[in-house]
Amino acid sequence: MHNDETIWACLGENGFCSFKVRWKEPKQDFCRNPYNVNGLCNKMSCPLANSQYATIIEEEGINYLYMKTVERAHSPKNLWERVKLSRNFLQALEQISKHLEFWPDRVINRCKQRLTKMRQMLIRMRKLSLKGGTKLVPIKKKTEKREATRELKAESAAKVDLAIERELLERLKQGTYGDIYNFPKKNFDSVMEKEDEEQELQDEDESDMEFVEDLGEDDEEWEDIDNKVEEVEVEGDLGMNDLEEVSLPARKKRRGKVEVEYEHEIDTR
Amino acid sequence: MATARPVVSIYNFENPSEKTGTMPMPVVLQSPLRPDLVREVHRDMAKNKRQAYAVKPKAGYDTAAESWCTGRAVARIPRAPGGGTHRAGQAAFGNQARGGGMFNPTTIWRRWHRRVNVTKKRHAVACALAASALPPLVMARGHKINQVAELPLVVSDGIQSLTKTKQAKEALKKLGCGEELQKVIDSKSIRAGQGKARNRRYVKRLGPLVIYNEDNGITRAMRNIPGVECAHVDRLNLLRLAPGGSFGRFVIFTEGAFKKLSDIYGTLKSGAPKKKGYTLPRAAMANADLARIINSTEVQSVLRPKMERYTHGIKRNALKSKELMEELNPGSTERRAVHLKSSQKGTPEYDEVQKKKKARIEESKKYNKEHKKGDETFYKTLMKAFEAKAAADAAKKAAEKAEDEEDEE
Repeated sequence: MHNDETIWACLGENGFCSFKVRWKEPKQDFCRNPYNVNGLCNKMSCPLANSQYATIIEEEGINYLYMKTVERAHSPKNLWERVKLSRNFLQALEQISKHLEFWPDRVINRCKQRLTKMRQMLIRMRKLSLKGGTKLVPIKKKTEKREATRELKAESAAKVDLAIERELLERLKQGTYGDIYNFPKKNFDSVMEKEDEEQELQDEDESDMEFVEDLGEDDEEWEDIDNKVEEVEVEGDLGMNDLEEVSLPARKKRRGKVEVEYEHEIDTR
Repeated sequence: MATARPVVSIYNFENPSEKTGTMPMPVVLQSPLRPDLVREVHRDMAKNKRQAYAVKPKAGYDTAAESWCTGRAVARIPRAPGGGTHRAGQAAFGNQARGGGMFNPTTIWRRWHRRVNVTKKRHAVACALAASALPPLVMARGHKINQVAELPLVVSDGIQSLTKTKQAKEALKKLGCGEELQKVIDSKSIRAGQGKARNRRYVKRLGPLVIYNEDNGITRAMRNIPGVECAHVDRLNLLRLAPGGSFGRFVIFTEGAFKKLSDIYGTLKSGAPKKKGYTLPRAAMANADLARIINSTEVQSVLRPKMERYTHGIKRNALKSKELMEELNPGSTERRAVHLKSSQKGTPEYDEVQKKKKARIEESKKYNKEHKKGDETFYKTLMKAFEAKAAADAAKKAAEKAEDEEDEE
């Protein structure tokens, strides 16, 4: 009943086994059973059809010798006996010889060969992990296409040029560039006026919505400017450094009026 | 058969790490393994649940079509009669026509079901049960039984009284079936093919088959666990024991069911008490381990010694091989050596040969001198023959001449 021969007859060439992988070209059968010693599907190496079997299995870098015998064949839980093999190759080989002492020579040889293979594989793994290596990432056509289109759309929506222009003008007005740039006065003024017009338009809109009461404030502001003007003169008398030009006073928003700007030259004495 | 284990352990379903007892192995589980038989019986049994399908009997022929026969410059296929529609005059009937019937219409009287001999069916079930008792076969079928304590897995009867699915699942997991159950859950996928639209949407792997004796809730408890199936010992179905025709299903027996197997199937001697006239299948060989038999002392001691076949070496040619020639024809080498030497002047062999030659010539001369004289010489004897012939010719000519003269006259 529990006969290796009969079991192989059920599993083997003409039978069914879920671990069997058949290749037609070249004609070769493989075994996907994790306990198989050489990965081939034949009577000698089938872990199911041999009640006495031994393999080497690697777990997290450590090699173990797994053995099974007929006595435990009925109990899948306790089927495999395992021995941890030494990290020293020669010692490991001796361990195998010792544990499989009375086993057929072929089994011993196969186990040793597998151990060698495993160790070589581990060495290679370690080397590779040190290298780092390139990770291959597939190019997903659909995604790439989609992202590219979206990029374009985002770019055009952002209106980068306009933003840059605005930013630069802002900086200019604020005076962060100081004296570096020399623009032809006409163009400079025209651009500035344009800016003003825009702002005025904005302002007008606002004024439509708002009040009339603030006329009184204008006088106050005018007064302020006079004060500022005076202050500037005073500071100049005290002996400010060479300032030929004063930065334009902060413009206050005038409603419907033309702004008058004064540029004062300070005499250095 | 004699090699099977005598006794099986029973596990406590609440605490599967402890065994509550043992039970003798029923003889059914020692039946010979016959994958071919199981496949065959399964094939036929599986056909018995089929429902008939066919094309409508009148399909394609529900027109009053008639052939227009010859003379109308159209093919002679039957055509739909009448007028006023597209359909009029169109071809009808026949598999080649649009809207015509199919070739060889499927019929409902196709032989859908197969009968299988009762004994055959019973043998197949016995065989399938035996296969379920062997871990390699169950593993090969694809079940994950690495954590199962023993095969065949027998659980105490308490499991039959479980009513809650949760409890049942726990019990199964403790018995080591966790991996198996997980495999089923992971394998659920949408069916490939039309079946998905025909109420067979999902497919999944099969899990364990729980065989019980008394249903005190177990079927309901196990019903909703994916992959798990239940069966009563009395009514074992090959389609469950060997799904797809491959035996080795992972089976869990309850204690009562396991005991009942012996009651149902009996032994080879007794026959099956519950199956009238049935005896379990007998193996063709009691011990199928051929290698073991051949190498056993009983057999080896009685064999005659191995026959040594004479293998011919390479055939040697005596004419080329002097050694072989000497073997076959002793003395030939010596003779050859002498022969070679005799042509070399100055050797004794040479002198020997010359001496013989001289003697021979002397003899000949002497003989000739004695016997061949006068008319006996070679030339004379030669010419004698010639003269005789010449005379004969002359006589013949004279005779011809005489005739000619007579004719003239």
